[in-house]
Amino acid sequence: MIDVDDDLWSAIGDPTRRRMLDRLLADGDGTATSLSVHLPVTRQAIAKHLGVLDRVGLVHSLPAGRERRYRVDEAQLARAVAQLASVGSAWDARLQRIKRIAEAIQRTKNEHNEKE
Amino acid sequence: MKSMELGTIEREIHVDASPEIVFEVVSRPEHISEWWSDDATLDEAAPGAVGELAWNDRAEVVPLKVVTAEPPRLFAFRWCYPDGTVDDAAKTMLVTFELTPSGGGTKIKLTETGFREMGWEAAQLEAAYNDHVAGWDHFIPRLGEYVAKLAAS
Repeated sequence: MIDVDDDLWSAIGDPTRRRMLDRLLADGDGTATSLSVHLPVTRQAIAKHLGVLDRVGLVHSLPAGRERRYRVDEAQLARAVAQLASVGSAWDARLQRIKRIAEAIQRTKNEHNEKE
Repeated sequence: MKSMELGTIEREIHVDASPEIVFEVVSRPEHISEWWSDDATLDEAAPGAVGELAWNDRAEVVPLKVVTAEPPRLFAFRWCYPDGTVDDAAKTMLVTFELTPSGGGTKIKLTETGFREMGWEAAQLEAAYNDHVAGWDHFIPRLGEYVAKLAAS
């Protein structure tokens, strides 16, 4: 069964937010202002994206002067990536079983044909 | 991870069986219940046909609906209906099996798409950010470091 946390998936599915996470991981932490220097979006847009990441627990923030300073929650990020990976590996397992079943049917059919 | 950045899962596998046999295995409920769910129902592999996948004595039941059935080369269905009932207007996952004869057997190409519709709302932006792959390549190694750290502690 596929078991994906939609909000988490959605949060990490956005390329701008992924770039922000990347930047935060590279720098250790960051503010909306510091992130907007590196990304082709406005500070306001960055602040909105940080809000989305915050709501799903991918980042945490502390007040820093007039702004907030954000850090990535690595455990939550690990969870998001594991979900992505597990959806892929579920299909790998299903395809292996499809292969085994189809090949067994083919073998039985071949043996049957040889007897005739 | 390679094929997942865009919200699509893509896999290929070679099977030493004819496309006709593989088509049966991927599309018939008696086989689906061997490789996927505990139980499966599906009237026929024809567009519009509705079926069910069930697990744990029907504690978990999800519907699926056939979109394309062109034996022995193409079978596609939708699943993951958000309300647990077939609804053509709902955002769902589309699973496609493409079967190609290959070296006396069959090459299966599986794709599952729909992650985008189910939340990857800004995926259109993806094309504009050609370096997004670098992002995944960047934080997956970091994740490895993190897991190693956890394992060590």
